[in-house]
Amino acid sequence: MDGERDLVDFAVEYARQKGASYAEARFERQEPEQFTLKNGTLDALYVGADRGIGVRVLAHGSLGFAATNALTRVDVKAIVDDAVKIAKASRRKTPITFAQEEPITTDWSVPEKTKLADVTIEEKIQEIQGVDKAIMELGFKIPVRFFQLADNRITKYFANSEGSKIGSYSPRLRVTYFLTVVNGADSEQTHRDYGWSGGWEGVREWGLTNRVTEEAKSMQRSLTEGKKSPEGKMDIVVSPMVSGIAAHESCGHPTEADRVLGREASQAGKSFIGPDDLGMKVGSEVVNVCDDPTVEHAIAYYVTDDEGVRARRRYMYKEGRVNEFLQNRETAAAFSTRSNGASRAVNYNVEAIVRMANTFVEPKDHSLEELLEGVHFGVYMKSFMEWNIDDKRYNAKYAGREAYLVENGEIKHPVRQTIIELTTPTFWSAVDAVGKDLDFEGGFCGKSDPSQPLDASLGGPSMRLRNVYLR
Amino acid sequence: MEDLAGRIVKKAQQLGCQDAVADLVVNRAFQIRFGRNEPVISSRWRESSASVFLVYDKRVVATDLKDLTDIDASMDRLVKIAKASQRNPEYAGIAKGPFRYGRVRPDPKVLALSDGSNFVDAAVNGAMAQGAKECAGSFWRYEDEHFLATSNGVEGHDHRAGLYLSIRAMVSLESSGHGIACASRLSQFDPEKAGRKAGRIAALAKNPKGGTAGRYTVVFDPLIFGALTDQVAGRASAYSVLAGFSPFGKKVGKRVASPAVTMWDDGSQESLSRKKFDMEGVPTRRTAIIQKGILKTYLHNTSTAKRFKTKTTGNAGLISPDPHAVFVKPGDWSRDEIFSEVKDGLWLTNTWYTRYQSYVTGDLSTIPRDGIFRIRKGEVVETWKDIRLTDNLIRLMKNVVALGDASEQMMWWGEVSIPNFVPYALIKDVNITRSAE
Repeated sequence: MDGERDLVDFAVEYARQKGASYAEARFERQEPEQFTLKNGTLDALYVGADRGIGVRVLAHGSLGFAATNALTRVDVKAIVDDAVKIAKASRRKTPITFAQEEPITTDWSVPEKTKLADVTIEEKIQEIQGVDKAIMELGFKIPVRFFQLADNRITKYFANSEGSKIGSYSPRLRVTYFLTVVNGADSEQTHRDYGWSGGWEGVREWGLTNRVTEEAKSMQRSLTEGKKSPEGKMDIVVSPMVSGIAAHESCGHPTEADRVLGREASQAGKSFIGPDDLGMKVGSEVVNVCDDPTVEHAIAYYVTDDEGVRARRRYMYKEGRVNEFLQNRETAAAFSTRSNGASRAVNYNVEAIVRMANTFVEPKDHSLEELLEGVHFGVYMKSFMEWNIDDKRYNAKYAGREAYLVENGEIKHPVRQTIIELTTPTFWSAVDAVGKDLDFEGGFCGKSDPSQPLDASLGGPSMRLRNVYLR
Repeated sequence: MEDLAGRIVKKAQQLGCQDAVADLVVNRAFQIRFGRNEPVISSRWRESSASVFLVYDKRVVATDLKDLTDIDASMDRLVKIAKASQRNPEYAGIAKGPFRYGRVRPDPKVLALSDGSNFVDAAVNGAMAQGAKECAGSFWRYEDEHFLATSNGVEGHDHRAGLYLSIRAMVSLESSGHGIACASRLSQFDPEKAGRKAGRIAALAKNPKGGTAGRYTVVFDPLIFGALTDQVAGRASAYSVLAGFSPFGKKVGKRVASPAVTMWDDGSQESLSRKKFDMEGVPTRRTAIIQKGILKTYLHNTSTAKRFKTKTTGNAGLISPDPHAVFVKPGDWSRDEIFSEVKDGLWLTNTWYTRYQSYVTGDLSTIPRDGIFRIRKGEVVETWKDIRLTDNLIRLMKNVVALGDASEQMMWWGEVSIPNFVPYALIKDVNITRSAE
């Protein structure tokens, strides 16, 4: 892609000539392939061929961004002219500055044991049809079986006016499935998502057939044996899936620095955590929640972010207190700190903003059995279907899909629609023990305008919460 | 550029495809995002792409091509992939053209705009004049030009443009309001009014207290009612029904809303998503979704229509049918009359994060944001916070008691995905929950 690299380097140099105090350009090629298998039939195959260049400049203290998919010098020159012109024309009174960073020159890539490009579409379809066949052989009534397999190969080249020049290659794989199991007039629905950075070997790592058949069995059992979930204050043990959504929604989002500063207020909202709230207590001392782009094979793996800053683990909640915000260079300057490499864009044609990557509750040392042993009467929630949280990330709801009554440390019959509807501090303050069974699910994280649905991992171990209200 | 869509289709046919669609899109949008009362970034796009749908021996493949410099190679690759794919026995073809389209052109004054700073200033000033302290949002000038060709004789050209502004005004973190301005014509674009509305709600929402769970009669502002009707229209897509993402399965001809509710989809009417034709080239038109509370049809493309033994409604997207723009027939209640009807209830102004426990039953929850008000005898008596609407989509629509006499065009990030022309709505017996301590 030397031609594209030349264009990116040219864009940065030309932007400086046009008067930008800072300039960066990002070439990105995405080669997505995705299909839907609906009730055993291939619905449609989508094969993308996406590439282009985006340029962001700082001029007269304002940001301008422009993008094109026409890869000629004339077209790139035109978007640089656009970006500089609109930045200079901006009526901003408070100049934007960027936190200092050392330039990086590197090329990194995610290894693929079996290259995604070498796996035929036939093989991919057959893999998912095998999973579909396995759940049909269970003999349950499953009128809607919806599987989506998506892979993407993302090639980037980033350069900025401070001397960074970074090439990267990220192969990604994701499966999403959705089942409806029916028993008489009653039904259960589930939606699960798994992601992987790497090659086709990710499909084996997921153990998809086993996961999906176990899920279908649990749905059937819920329908035939499930009882009303108990209400009132009691203990609850939650699975990695529930820990993961709480880590993402009730820790990751409220610690995004741009949200804290109000840049996202009109869309994804603000945060109950204010700019001066580092150190504020939000949970018990056993709660550590972090975000780490360098978790190998997690779908949001990266070495450098889309501002050319090296990625690292960041602890947003440490020992139950707000410890660190997720920062890009713009927000870091506003906080008089350094970026922690959290800037990402969904594609070349949008600005990079503060984003989570792989967000999880840090595991400790309890086994699941040990967590359950301490429960006299309560619920073990393994998965959820409905969830949401308010725009300040304070009031969350996680509605159980697969859950069981726990009595004297033993798992009993399934219970249906266990509802956790708690504030963020109430949830994290109730955690008294954290397990060691760290697991991740895939997800899309929504933010920004234009909307940037971005690959994310949500994870954690099982956790025990004491004396919380369930309904 | 104009004949590229035709060239793509011709190449697909030469390669043995039975059906092919190419929609060449030239995008010239620009945007100003603002936060804390000033611009945070200005963006501009110069992009051309081709959305392509092709069918080889019932093997269906779709793509969005960004590299338009070597169409032949791209098409060779696509057809090769299609051949290695599998047949879709449910695929039933695309619409047969040619069709005739109306002469609709975008407002030249919208096309001539090169900056939106004045609109941002007007909206922010409007909000601040009402008492807001901090505003955030975005201004868009959309412009895209479509050149469509299909293997069934369709050739179409459509130039679309519009103006949009979304503003959230805040007095504090928990006292906020939201306003929307949408127009296809410059003369109808009123960002200051959107700012005033956001600022007025924010100022009224001062010092909220935690709400109380229960069942309430609720006044839905157009923005949050639009979030509900957007759900209805999306779930009325035949694809949603077939994929298990809808509570409307087997409900055509049955009651799914109160007799007060009549709503339709219409891509041909003036709106931010006005379009002459769908992705198969079928002219857009008015399609009744709900007539006096009865579900009239799902939204179809040619394939799903055949499956349901009916005709396409002109809602084809690249793969699945989707609504274009939703129109709710206004009622005959003035805004004041709707509020006066509430002896003891709530007024909700916006929501987000709508999620389902079960799509087939329609059980959902959504979280009201911005101004949440307690109403007694038609008057605002308290401001609330921290509540959740936990109910069922069909139950909510069946409980519509009254609709306002004027509709507004609403579209908003996340919750109102397409233009929804909606009035104020009064809905009884709405279930409200809240976080436990």
